[in-house]
Amino acid sequence: MNTTTTTNKREGDEKDFEEEEDKKRAKKDELEEDELETQETHPWSANEEILEEEVYVQDLGKVSDDVKVVEAEKKSWNRKPLARPIDGQTDSILFQQLDIDYIIGQPHEMLGQERRSKGQAAILRMFGVTEDGHSVCVHVHGFNPYFYCAVPETFTEQHIPAFLMSLNSQMMAHQRSSNSARHFALDAHLILDKQSLMNFQPNGKKGRFLRIIMMLPTQVAQARGILENGIHVDELHQSALTFPTFESNILYTLRFMVDRAVVGGNWLELPAKNYRVRPQQRKASYCQIECDVMFDRFISHAAEGKYSKLAPFRILSVDIECAGRKGFFPDAEQDPVIQIATLVTEQGSDSPIIKAIWTLDTCAPIVGAEVKSFRDERELLRDWGKFMRAVDPDMLIGYNIVNFDFPYLIKRAQTLGVQDFPYWGRIIGKQLTIKDTTFSSKAYGTRESKEITIEGRVQFDMLQAIQRDYKLSSYSLNSVSAHFLGEQKEDVHHSAISELQAGTAETRRRLAVYCLKDAYLPQRLLDKLMYTYNYIEMSRVTGVPLSFLLARGQSIKVMSQLLRKARQRGLIIPARRDRGNGPNAQLEGEVAYEGATVLDAKAGYYELPIATLDFASLYPSIMMAHNLCYCTLVKQHDVADLPPEAYTKAPTGDVFVKSTQFKGILPEILEELLSARKRAKQDLKKATDPLERAVLDGRQLALKISANSVYGFTGATVGQLPCLEISASTTAYGRQMIDHTKKLVEEKYTTANGYEGDAEVIYGDTDSVMIKFNCKELKTSMEYGLEAADYVSATFTKPIKLEFEKCYWPYLLISKKRYAGLLWENSEKWTKMDTKGIETVRRDNCLLVRQVVETCLTKILMDRDIPGAVKYVQNTISDLLMNKLDLSLLVITKGLTKTADEYAVKAAHAELAQRMFLRDPATAPVVGDRVAYVMIKATKNAKGYEKSECPIYAMDNNLPIDHKHYLDNFLTKPLLRLFEPILQNAASVLLSGEHTRSIALPTPSSTLAGGIMRFAKVRPSCVGCRAPITDEKLSKSLCKHCVEDESKHLQKALVTVNELEKDFNRLWTQCQRCQGSLHQDVLCTSRDCPIFYRRRKTQKDLIEATTTLKRFDW
Amino acid sequence: MFEARILQGSILKKVLESIKDLVTDANFECTANGFALQAMDSSHVSLVALMLRSTGFDHYRCDRDVTMGMNLLNMSKMLKCADNDDTITMKADDAGDVVTFMFENPKADKISDFQMKLMDIDTEHLGIPDTEYEATVKMSSNEFQRICRDLSSIGDTVTIAVTKDSVKFTTSGDIGEANITCRRTSDGDMKEEKVKTEEDGEKVHNTKSSEGQNVDIDLQEPVTLTFALRYLNSFCKATSLCENVRLQLSKELPVVVQYLIEDMGYVRFYLAPKIEEEDADES
Repeated sequence: MNTTTTTNKREGDEKDFEEEEDKKRAKKDELEEDELETQETHPWSANEEILEEEVYVQDLGKVSDDVKVVEAEKKSWNRKPLARPIDGQTDSILFQQLDIDYIIGQPHEMLGQERRSKGQAAILRMFGVTEDGHSVCVHVHGFNPYFYCAVPETFTEQHIPAFLMSLNSQMMAHQRSSNSARHFALDAHLILDKQSLMNFQPNGKKGRFLRIIMMLPTQVAQARGILENGIHVDELHQSALTFPTFESNILYTLRFMVDRAVVGGNWLELPAKNYRVRPQQRKASYCQIECDVMFDRFISHAAEGKYSKLAPFRILSVDIECAGRKGFFPDAEQDPVIQIATLVTEQGSDSPIIKAIWTLDTCAPIVGAEVKSFRDERELLRDWGKFMRAVDPDMLIGYNIVNFDFPYLIKRAQTLGVQDFPYWGRIIGKQLTIKDTTFSSKAYGTRESKEITIEGRVQFDMLQAIQRDYKLSSYSLNSVSAHFLGEQKEDVHHSAISELQAGTAETRRRLAVYCLKDAYLPQRLLDKLMYTYNYIEMSRVTGVPLSFLLARGQSIKVMSQLLRKARQRGLIIPARRDRGNGPNAQLEGEVAYEGATVLDAKAGYYELPIATLDFASLYPSIMMAHNLCYCTLVKQHDVADLPPEAYTKAPTGDVFVKSTQFKGILPEILEELLSARKRAKQDLKKATDPLERAVLDGRQLALKISANSVYGFTGATVGQLPCLEISASTTAYGRQMIDHTKKLVEEKYTTANGYEGDAEVIYGDTDSVMIKFNCKELKTSMEYGLEAADYVSATFTKPIKLEFEKCYWPYLLISKKRYAGLLWENSEKWTKMDTKGIETVRRDNCLLVRQVVETCLTKILMDRDIPGAVKYVQNTISDLLMNKLDLSLLVITKGLTKTADEYAVKAAHAELAQRMFLRDPATAPVVGDRVAYVMIKATKNAKGYEKSECPIYAMDNNLPIDHKHYLDNFLTKPLLRLFEPILQNAASVLLSGEHTRSIALPTPSSTLAGGIMRFAKVRPSCVGCRAPITDEKLSKSLCKHCVEDESKHLQKALVTVNELEKDFNRLWTQCQRCQGSLHQDVLCTSRDCPIFYRRRKTQKDLIEATTTLKRFDW
Repeated sequence: MFEARILQGSILKKVLESIKDLVTDANFECTANGFALQAMDSSHVSLVALMLRSTGFDHYRCDRDVTMGMNLLNMSKMLKCADNDDTITMKADDAGDVVTFMFENPKADKISDFQMKLMDIDTEHLGIPDTEYEATVKMSSNEFQRICRDLSSIGDTVTIAVTKDSVKFTTSGDIGEANITCRRTSDGDMKEEKVKTEEDGEKVHNTKSSEGQNVDIDLQEPVTLTFALRYLNSFCKATSLCENVRLQLSKELPVVVQYLIEDMGYVRFYLAPKIEEEDADES
């Protein structure tokens, strides 16, 4: 099955390749005709001169011919030229912005003389693409950074000059001499119509605030520090006063986006006459359209209707190969970059518009791809850099580009001294920057990574995205593509790469094809997972730039929504004081509150239908129902002043006013998110266009995630604005509701009340309750479930709603957070098998466990065949003991993150890596690799790390697998968990008995160093009955009892060889297809691929079978 | 039908105790010649060869060659139920899947019957080709056990150096080094016995003359080899089978540690020597 699907796909690809090639040829011909005319006006070639100061030295001979070809072809890389120049008087520019940043520069002439005299200003830059695919760079001027601070009642307009003077003199005193700004706070206004977000203000009292406008964004934080430490203001107070600041920790770009209602990835319009187009010679960027605009003169379109679509932006996918030295992971200071594969795709189109590969040394042509060969690595890098600027991509994707490919290229260019290389950004003459960062988030864990700034281009590393969004057993590109795309990928070991590179043009072509495929996979994953849609929708919904989504955590998204909403409601958000780094800071960070409730699980195997009631969006709905928000939280001393009907007291004792008094903004945000989601879901039902559906589905998902992260935001003690009163109250309500539901259901559904059976809540977790109504019919259970949901919902405040969606039948409850069941949404046909906490996706498990557990569940739940499941387990165990299992099922892989010596305790994979290094430094795994291993038999009481062995080595040397280890350490626990609720004495039925009494003890091959096998001789035994052969003259293959049936045994041996040959041929071609060439050797050594192990195993079996056959003297 | 009766049941018990830690599952081969076993330990460093000749049994019957797969741990559990002076009878049908152990006490007033399920073990037949060894050392098995035990508290490996006059056991470890030298005590006995060995083939009598601390050395050429103590210690579990142990060594060949079983046969342990580059590998 697997074989055929993959084959078809591969053939499809090849076709694409060819068609692609035809198109390209046609295009090239066209372009060459008008090459001369366009050359002069082309922005790219014009800009190139500024950068390329060094003389382009070309090698003579063949390679330089190739370089010339490159020059001739480069037109096809550029974006389509503008139909006509933009006229600022008549044309309005509509584009989708994808990235926003700012620089400090001289104020634009559009600003007044007064402002310009004061020196530098922040200039925002918005990068994007028009509907027709032209790149746009807009410089936005005049948006001054500002923040608020609270001032005492006595503070009036007349104090402002003194206040400013005092602040400015402090700023001057604090500033470092290096950046000598002359101006700081430019202006301040007294604001009387706003109030703080924190706490409910009885009587709707407004606060007294000062809005302070700063010259540069960085000064905000500085001013904030000074104000919070206290300054003296003449005529206000004798001593220095501290001024609590508000909204002073908001990123400048976000501030701008909030104030101008710009959300990530939305469409902006510059109306005619409101902007100035930059002429060619004054352009700062490589963008086709570049203009200046005042910050309040453009239109930001909400992402609705026709503005919900995506522009045809360019996505560039890249993968590099480098020639490592044997035994070392490639190091940019020593190992050359030998190939760079690049694919460019336009958003919304299925196939790439450019497929190109840069190779060091010659490379045979590849159908459908442009091959550029270079003799000098410097030239290669330089040319690729040019390509990057010519193609002008909006988004850079790849697999692990941020932490491997990009840093490697940059470092390599640095090592080689290619100075004009690291200019990938859109700004002319601006180098990219790279630095180390540590990203730490509760939701995603701590990860070290590089931060590369490439101005105007969004980086989207598929590895990071997938690590964030999916829990997988392995994140290698290979297993990720096997998981999502359902196909294996060739995996060439990095020691083999150097060999291919050192070969001929033909072997380098092999490598190039491989490299191109690695560049294509991220693009296909992007499409398959609809990442562009989902992430752009996410940034539209939450209002943050696209680049924040991967680089930052959840809280910035909530913060962005909070700011937008607060602004509408006249609320301002207090800045959180920086917590110190003292010992208390640690304690403060760990304030714990009680989490969700989990009702005790009544473990067992239920053959009666189990109805499940779920709270729809539990935490958001609690927050909405009880109006939980920062601005509805009543300070304890204010409670007495409020009439009792105006507030509710949460189970934690915290008091919140009702929405009739003051509607909280968190509930409002949530309402909008959830109603938008409902709308999106309705639209999704109606939508027919697959692209539209993709956008809508991405949106509803983004909305759901955003709604759920609001609760987390209030509970994140290290976050921007934690408020434990809110999060603790939310969970407290949740716990109360679960208990309440249980009580109501168990009271109502009893035989005494005329129902079929006494209901019993067997389990409940956070937002769901499982009920056994004790009735046999699924239909009745569903009816009761629906009824109970409505009945219980009626007792809750709106919009909290208990929903009945599904029944489990049968249901296997193992313990809390671990269950499996066959899920029914209607009474006709089950929907799927649902499991939680059972399939251990842990990486240190072998495939066998998952396969066994999954098959057992299918047999138990779907086929309701418990004896069948038992039989299956027994057979599998028997196969394991008989050494009949596919080795790939037993392989365990672990990432080698440091060398063996650095591990505190000896780890199986690290020790193995060390042993493999002693055997062959070239192929041994190095730090950064994943080590695959199997457990083999060793001396009694040997430690786990002594038993690990490379699967290939074990297979080649016939090392016996430690089946007992697999049985005891991997299978026993999950199996017993599964079967104990079902079977009595599960352990003895499954793990011992007849099926465990047949075992195989393979004899290791004699090449194995050190063992007794170097001396022991295998005595020939009878092919028929395994008895030792005593009389060699009679027959070399059979004993005297079996020799009568010689023809039968010979035939059997012959059939075995034939079958193995057939199998092996199939596996071999499968691998050849995967590598995309049927007339070359297979190099792949992918340790993630089951085919690989089967191929090796079959190969070995075949050799053995052939030997056996030869023993018959025929 | 296979049937074998051994008067001194303790011999079978001791034999099993000495090998059950090395080998977990093994095939016993029952032929007209006797009851034999050959198996590697699970780490393939050593090999056990057991031979109990049919002539040594009180009663022995084997109609057709049978291979009986047994789990030695389970077998040992059953044999532990026999008293040391019990007579043990093993019985198995040609096509059966059980083996019966019958224990009779000397007074013949108590008969125990134990049945054990057999296993089907798919493995190959192994053998170490016979060779002339360069050095043969014969010494008290208690002494050998003592040396191995003492040295293993210092290091992991032992270097055995055999010269004309002495055999030297050396080890070193983190805490220090140890050397034990055993001098050759007499040369007449050894020769005498060697002659006997050649005459009787495998059938060697346990001569009383080489008792106690006596060490006999028969040397063609001096040999120095290194072995893992872990295995030697394990072999020493057979000490109670025989007063003397015979070590046979040759350059680049496994050592043979043999314990004779009086009038019946032998237990032999083969242990591969350690080679230099492998040291890092094993430790």
